[in-house]
Formats: sequence, structure tokens, C-alpha cells
Amino acid sequence: MAEAKEKILEIRDLDIVFQTTAGPVHAIRGVDLDLYKGETVAVVGESGSGKSVTMKAAMGILASNARVTRGTIQFGYHHGDGTPERVDILTKDKKWIRRHINGKRIAMVFQDPMTSLDPTMTIGKQIMEGMIWHYKTPKKEAWDKAVRLLKEVGIEEPEKRMKNYPHQLSGGMRQRVVIAIALSCNPDLLICDEPTTALDVTIQAKIIELIRRIQKERGISVIYITHDLGVVAKVADYVNVMYAGKIVEKGSINEIFYDPRHPYTWGLLSAMPDLDTDDDRLYTIPGSPPNLLHEKTGDAFAPRNRYALEIDDKAEPPMFKISDTHYAATWLLDPRAPKVEMPQELKERIARMRKEAQDHGSKL
Amino acid sequence: MAVNYNAEPILTVEGLKQYFKVSSSFTVKAVENVSFKIYPGETYGLVGESGSGKSTIGRSVIRLYNPTAGKIRFDGTDISGKLSREANQSLRTQMQMIFQDPMASLNPRKKVEDIIGEGLDIHHMCRNAREREEKIQAILKKVGLAPEHASRYPHQFSGGQRQRVGIARALIMNPKLIIADECISALDVSIQAQVVNLMKDIQQETGTAYLFIAHDLSMVKYISDRIGVLHLGHLLETGTTEEIFEHPIHPYTRSLLSAIPAPNPIVEKGRVAESYDYKTSGIDYGKGTEHLVEGTHYVKCTDEEFARWTGAAGLDASSAQE
Repeated sequence: MAEAKEKILEIRDLDIVFQTTAGPVHAIRGVDLDLYKGETVAVVGESGSGKSVTMKAAMGILASNARVTRGTIQFGYHHGDGTPERVDILTKDKKWIRRHINGKRIAMVFQDPMTSLDPTMTIGKQIMEGMIWHYKTPKKEAWDKAVRLLKEVGIEEPEKRMKNYPHQLSGGMRQRVVIAIALSCNPDLLICDEPTTALDVTIQAKIIELIRRIQKERGISVIYITHDLGVVAKVADYVNVMYAGKIVEKGSINEIFYDPRHPYTWGLLSAMPDLDTDDDRLYTIPGSPPNLLHEKTGDAFAPRNRYALEIDDKAEPPMFKISDTHYAATWLLDPRAPKVEMPQELKERIARMRKEAQDHGSKL
Repeated sequence: MAVNYNAEPILTVEGLKQYFKVSSSFTVKAVENVSFKIYPGETYGLVGESGSGKSTIGRSVIRLYNPTAGKIRFDGTDISGKLSREANQSLRTQMQMIFQDPMASLNPRKKVEDIIGEGLDIHHMCRNAREREEKIQAILKKVGLAPEHASRYPHQFSGGQRQRVGIARALIMNPKLIIADECISALDVSIQAQVVNLMKDIQQETGTAYLFIAHDLSMVKYISDRIGVLHLGHLLETGTTEEIFEHPIHPYTRSLLSAIPAPNPIVEKGRVAESYDYKTSGIDYGKGTEHLVEGTHYVKCTDEEFARWTGAAGLDASSAQE
């Protein structure tokens, strides 16, 4: 079915600058991203790496001081009668995006369910709002559908809950409500911006399983923004690693986890203690994320990269191709570069992961 | 960093209860009969979901709250009742706290040197300004900040650096026990590792003990010598890190462990986390008593539950280990 894969979202060479009082901040520097129907793409990176800004651009909800200087965001969808349509979201005005995209075809789940729900409205009303606005659904029908949605996201006694206000629900329940709202208009694309960061591990596991189940049942595409690689391992088909407004490595989930190539990905993978780590010290990425106010020539990651080459300070590395799906932007992959191996700890860990995976009956 | 378990514990908590009266008819029982010990130079991890009472315990121990019942002994003196002048003095200098949100816990109108030096000033621990400055510079160096950072304000720092200031503030009093309340939860993954390494280094150097409160089990596993699992105010299971992670007995601990997503996609895709619901599990925490599993591993449950869980534990533990 590979040739029938339908492209939902295609971001090309996106470039965004924020005008701030301290000067222009070049937050997104040439991002490419593809998403096909029914697939899950994870965008991973530290705070300030631009992962949320990219997705906000796709939703047309950028802050007013943001300026898109380059690039296209092609979004493909079907009209009610089934005719396909492709639009460049960046060329449309806010009103059009509100009418045709936001909530209707692309829905978003935000990090903190307490701030993304309206505290003065019952949750039933909040779920119905989108349907009534976009599709002019009669109230009775919208109510029934909202009850069904609440049931679908695993809330018991949905009829009773419809009349509750957000503060009457627990954090996990609130996030379920947010997901129900996002699903209310049958979107083609669901963007989850750190949906579980504010939640406990046990509830996180449940919410992730819920999103996965819904995705499978409805066949929608999901973009998952997170910094937790454990969550990525659970949900994603493809992974994009972002650093300082650029995608530095992209590949299928197995390529990123079992064969990472970029030193930053190495750092991210080894900085996270897995439950089998016995080492005395955690591997760390030295320094802190860069301040994008001061633009730097060459590779933005070079100051924190213990494998940095001289050229890293002079020229930005291009995307080197490793396989059809796996790309990484580091000079280490250039044929002229000295041969550099990933850190020993990570090598051991990957060997351990591969073995574990094999025990699970997968051939890798 | 061998912990001497034969030494007198630095902190002993016995039957701690912490209730909050909300109205005449409703009392929140945040902490219910919790007992544990921390030895000098040890890291004790306290884990549990939000609302389980882990932060409350930390705050009761450092006496931000007045405990409803129970005994807290710190460094040989009882600190659970009304504090005598000396007890108060020793508590305020020997026990320190690092908070979760470094931005909210640092006074935005004070320079870093004054934030760090505040304890010194209050307790008159420096004879003159020179000595004060020397101490502050030494501590800044220890936590990996530069001397020129002393005259800056909190907002001029990144998140990781701010948390270093928080650690420096706790360290300058040379405490015997530091309570770290979710001190890395607000930081980025790569910065978390830096801060945890720093905390480990400092422990090795100064021999201070940590009460490490967190919900991130993988970090807790990495830093702690012993762990206590809390749920709804009850300490359900406690033991060394290996005992808890290799042979979890209580169903809540098991669900907590299985909820951590492993960074291994092939394994993780097929795995479904064990779920646990207190209401339907039929377990009454109030009825449970402490049962010794082995070594320092204790579980709170009834006799009947203990027999059931440990009887099946041999099997389940081996299958859970893959």
C-alpha cells in the first residue's frame, strides 16, 4: 500500500523570525517535515528548539510578532463531497484558517489541560461548541455526539459529566476532555503538544494508550511534540529531532533509536536514564540550549558538541542521507570527516536494547 | 559513597500524620502513619503520583507544617513538637530545601549573592563581609557557576543555572540533610542529567543526605539508595532501589513501574502498562501493617494480601523482567 500513501502535511523550508524588543530572534531556520495519512510523527527537542512554533505555524496561530520569511506549509484534505484539496496555509488569512482548518481539520491538544479549557463553561458546552460552529449541527445531535465522545475517551457516566465544569475533574480527566474536544469535528490531523508533560506517569500511560487507540480506530495522522524519548518510543512511526530551530536528524523510529547518527541525538538518548543503567554518572550534553538572539555561523550545536570539527564553526552542515528515510545534519557524516563512533555507554545501551527487542521476537 | 547503615539515622520519622482541616466537617488526611529513616550520606527517594502526599512529608519534616501526630527525630533531637530555641536553630541550619520551580523560589528583586548569602546573614555565620564573599564564591564554584554570576539577578539565568543557584543556597549552610522537592521536574532532559550529576558529586564531597522527592521513577532509580512508594498518604512499599525495581510486591508499585515508557520502540510498541485502581482493587490501605519481605524491603498490607502477592510474586517478577 506504499504507493497509495496520501500526504497530509508537507512543510518546506519554513523560516520564522520573531521581532522582539531585544532584536530579531531567528526561531525556525529552514524546517522540512512530511506527514502521511494514518502515521505518527514525533518532534523531539529541548525547550526553545522551535518544535511548538513550527506546529503553531501549521495551525495559523503564531504570535503577532512572528514573521514567516520563507517556506510553504501544504495541507491536503478532502471536502465533504470527497474532492481532494491542497492549500498552502501560509498564504491564507486568519479568518479563512479559522473557518476551514482550526478545529475542523487540524485539531490541537495542549500541554496543560487547566489552561486550555474554559473554566466558566461546562465541558459539554465546550465539546459541542466546535460542531455547532463548523458544521451547524443541531443542538440535540451535538449533545448526543459529545456524550459518545466522552465515552470514547474513557470517561464514565458521560451524561453526568457533560454538566461539570473543568475544576470538578482531575488532571487526567481534563486531558481526556481536551482530546474529546479535539476529536469533535473529526479532524484529519491531531497535533499533540506535550500532552502528558503535566500529568503523572500512570495517567500518562493511559492517555498515550488512548491517543494510540483513537488513531488506529479513526485512521487519523498525529504529530506528537515532546521531549520525553520514552513517550516517543511508544507512539511514533517517524522521529524528527530539532535543535535551535532546525531539524538535525530525521528517520524512522527504529533508525533513530537503534542507529542514531547525530551527536545531539546521542546526547538525548544517553542523558535519559533507562531502568537498566548502572553507570555511576549520567552522560550529559554540556552547556545549555543556545540563545537564538545571537546567531552563530556554522553548526548551532557545535559549542556543546564534544565531537565538533573545525568546519562546524564555519559552515552549516547539510542534511546527509543515510537511508531513504534517515537523514542527519552533521559534518561527521561527510566522507572527508574523521571516523567518530558514538559514546561507549550509548553503544552498550543500544546493544542491550537490540537484544531486548530480539527477545520480543523482532528481527533487527 | 558507601552509606553507613550502622550509624545513627540522621532523620527518623515515626507514624507521621498530617491532616488539614478544610471545614468543620471535612479534613484532608494528606499523610497517614508514615515511618522511615534516612542515614547520613544516603539518598532516600520518595515517589508517588500527585496528591500522594510526598511534598507534604517533605514540608512536615522541615517544619513548614506542624505535624498532626507522630515523631520526627533529626540529628538526635526531637523536632516534631514545639521547637526549642536550640532545636529550631539546628533545624534551620542543618536541614535545607531545594524547590521545584527555580523561578518561583528565588526572589526576583535580589542578586544571586544575596539570595545565597541570606542564610549566612540570618544566622550571623560570617564575621565580616570578606568572609561572606569568600564563602559565596566557593559555593558558586562548587555548583558550576562563574564568580561574575554573583551580582546578577535570577531572571538573567537559564533554568538549569537557576536551579544551581537553588542548590548553592541550600549548600552554603553545610546541611546534613537536603530535601529536594521535585527539583529537576521543571528542567529539560539534558539539563536534568547535569543537575543530578552535580547533586551526586556534592554528596560525595560533603556527605550530606538527600530526601529526593519526585514522580520520575527513572531519575529516582538513578540517584537513590533506598526508595519509598507513596499513594494516598500511605507509604506502601519501601526498600533499596534494587529491591523495589527487581521485586515490586505491591500492585501499585508494579503499575507505577510498568507505566514508565522505555526508550526502546520495538519493546514499547507492544507493551500495555499494568493498570491499578484503588477503588476497584479491594485493598484498604488503612488496614495494612508493615510486612518484611527481605532485607530492608517492607510492604504495607494485610496478612492475607501479603501471602497472595508474595506467593505470585516469584512468577510475576520473572516475567516482568523479560
